[in-house]
Amino acid sequence: MRRFLFMRLATALPTLLGMSFIAFAIVSLAPGDPVMQELRAMGVVPKPEDILAIRAQYGLDKPFFSRYFDWLIRALQFDFGQSIASGRSVIDEILIHLPATLALALSSLIGAIGFSLALGLAAVSAGRATGAALRGLTILLVSVPSFWLALLLIYVFVFQLGWGRLVGDGSIGDLILPTLTLSLGAGASLGRVVYERVRAEMCEDHIRLAIAKGLAPPVILFRHIVPRVIGPLATTWANTFGALLGGAVIVESIFGWPGLGQLILQAISQRDFPVIQAYLVFMGLGFFITSLLADFIVILSDPQLRREVSNG
Amino acid sequence: MLRLSVAARLGVAAMLAMPIVAPAALAETSLTVAVSRDRYSIDEQKFTFTTRRPAAQIVETAVMPDENFLPQPLLFQSWDYTDGIYTVSLREGVTFSDGSAFNADTAIAALRLYDQGKSDFLQIDPESLQKLGEYQISFRSETGSALVIENMTHRGTSFFAVTENRAENPVGTGPYLLDSYDPKQQITVTRNPNYWGEAPSIDRLTFRFIADDNARMLALQNGEIDVIGEVTPQMLLSMPQDGSVVLHESRPIRYVALFANLNGVAPFDIIQDYKVREALAWAIDRETIASVLFAGRGVPAKGILPGWMFDLGEDHTDGFGYDTAKTGALLDEAGWTLGADGIREKDGRKLSLRLVAAYPNVSSVKPMPEMLEQMFAAVGIDIDLVEVDDSGVYGSTYLDTGEADLYMEFASNNNTDPTYLLNNLFTSTTPWGGYKFTAPGPHVDTLLADARTAQTREEVIAKVRAAHRAIVQDDLAAIPILMVPNFTLSRPGVVVPMSEYADWISYGHTTIAK
Repeated sequence: MRRFLFMRLATALPTLLGMSFIAFAIVSLAPGDPVMQELRAMGVVPKPEDILAIRAQYGLDKPFFSRYFDWLIRALQFDFGQSIASGRSVIDEILIHLPATLALALSSLIGAIGFSLALGLAAVSAGRATGAALRGLTILLVSVPSFWLALLLIYVFVFQLGWGRLVGDGSIGDLILPTLTLSLGAGASLGRVVYERVRAEMCEDHIRLAIAKGLAPPVILFRHIVPRVIGPLATTWANTFGALLGGAVIVESIFGWPGLGQLILQAISQRDFPVIQAYLVFMGLGFFITSLLADFIVILSDPQLRREVSNG
Repeated sequence: MLRLSVAARLGVAAMLAMPIVAPAALAETSLTVAVSRDRYSIDEQKFTFTTRRPAAQIVETAVMPDENFLPQPLLFQSWDYTDGIYTVSLREGVTFSDGSAFNADTAIAALRLYDQGKSDFLQIDPESLQKLGEYQISFRSETGSALVIENMTHRGTSFFAVTENRAENPVGTGPYLLDSYDPKQQITVTRNPNYWGEAPSIDRLTFRFIADDNARMLALQNGEIDVIGEVTPQMLLSMPQDGSVVLHESRPIRYVALFANLNGVAPFDIIQDYKVREALAWAIDRETIASVLFAGRGVPAKGILPGWMFDLGEDHTDGFGYDTAKTGALLDEAGWTLGADGIREKDGRKLSLRLVAAYPNVSSVKPMPEMLEQMFAAVGIDIDLVEVDDSGVYGSTYLDTGEADLYMEFASNNNTDPTYLLNNLFTSTTPWGGYKFTAPGPHVDTLLADARTAQTREEVIAKVRAAHRAIVQDDLAAIPILMVPNFTLSRPGVVVPMSEYADWISYGHTTIAK
């Protein structure tokens, strides 16, 4: 297992390095001068030497590769510099907003898993009419953009029923509507995977044998089907978690949820490049860690793979 | 006897009612204002940037703009400018919120802080700062400018007490004290009980940062916020008409104009011909545009500075009406004749112009670019419309390179220095690079340079008036379209004391109907 972990980390290094380069390059080569943008927005007329000093402060006076290697060395020590817009260190900015995003992504993932299992299993055992209705619901939820779903939920739960508020302060209660928005969309996609996996598994010989032996459906499901589908599902859950971490920007913005989505939206509009670069790296790391976790779950859930990894 | 009995009964009733009435009378008044983003910087080097909207309640400037954008006393009681030296009498009896006195020593210390920042636009010579008495100081401008006091109306020049962490915990003389700050979420200020001036009517002010336009509007309708401080044109278009949202407006101050590329190279050199620019100016139906955008509150513009500002007056520019026949005649005169496809041409070249709608973003002026495209098409001018929602892309891709004929901008002069806007946008020596393309030439450079070194305000205004007329009339470096008020939205019963200058809206003096 240790060897597997080592190999996995070793193969990840070039990927992470490439990702860091792309993150740096995208932001550095994007049009727009953050210094001039900020100065004009603030109505400040600097002297040319002031502009040069500000550029030097952010290292913008150096050649591209020199800036990249300086940044990379600092990034390896988790020093991503200082936010141009807020003046805080980028790590502080990330740490201020990361817990809210993690809470939203995690609660949405839990909601999505629950919803997808209910939807997928109901579709498997449903009759023709109910099955068609469930498939229709799935297609609808997958197709509806998250911002539209968010506005619909706001209309129903905030304006019509008065059960929630729109502009929260980051408390648990304020998490419900954004979680519901993200869970429904992600859960519908995952529900299709659950449906297909369970259906495929039900066609296997050992399941037919179990049915022939007269085992109760819950026994067949939990003892024979779940262990076989949990690995592939875990991979999907991990990918979904990564997507939720980075994909909640619009939902966070609509509900005023103080997560990384809010941070990155402002950073992009203000050309706060140290924050954007760090955000991209963190998102990449997030995907890497979640896919690593998924690999472990797959190995742990599959005895054959577990044996292979243990034997090196 | 009967009267006495009635009086006694009323007295008893009043005493019984006291517990009910008293808490209401003593109840804290609070106001929640939604703004689009958190502009608060804790960078020591940029401490002048921490003085906008939210923190502007905590610190104060030396002077404040009056209704004509002329400086009026605030922390400076009076001032005199003679022979290049400013002599200032400070307001007495003012203390910073940490209890230290505002006097010549602390005022000089606060002024010296500017020199440590990277953007010293006051341009005070720090060596010249002198204490003349306990409440009197003097200083000199580094550049011999007579406009230092005018520049001090900018919120960025607020006076801070020199403390260890002034950026994170600013100590000022203002009507409010910092209560809490949650980055990207909200900032709350509470009333300063020891404020020297007129006490604000609101005890607690909370500024919520809500980026999404829809969310701001819905939160207002749901009663979660009281005021929307930053209103986009889209919000005006979707504003409910059932009375649940109230629109407050200032006098028109923001301009929408087409800046002309006067110094571009081919193919962006067509409008170097004044006749073409004038033809464009006459082809715009400003009344129709005004009726469609900004809830119909915009007015056809004759310039980019409103007449009331700096006492410029309404008559120094003539403006342009809507006269397509005149446009046709001007284009004919310039040699641009109608082609078979309805587009004018000259020497085999089509009259095709690139119009970039981008500053601050195209969403701010939608659907004006499309309306202009149709108006120009009607007179045989083909428009290559480029819509950009990002001012960074606009700057580096189109403005700095001069790769467009016309630039649509929606902005305002947000400074009481009368030369500020014109000098930055229409001189060849502009510190904002790309605007060298919209500079009419040496005559405007000279007018504005003279204005910046003029030694009396009257002289400054006369030069600015001449430069403004040159820019929007005689040279048509900017084709004025609309003048638009500054807006806020509130729930019913809330009256916001509007100002043309968003940083000077005194939310603390908002009145709320019981």
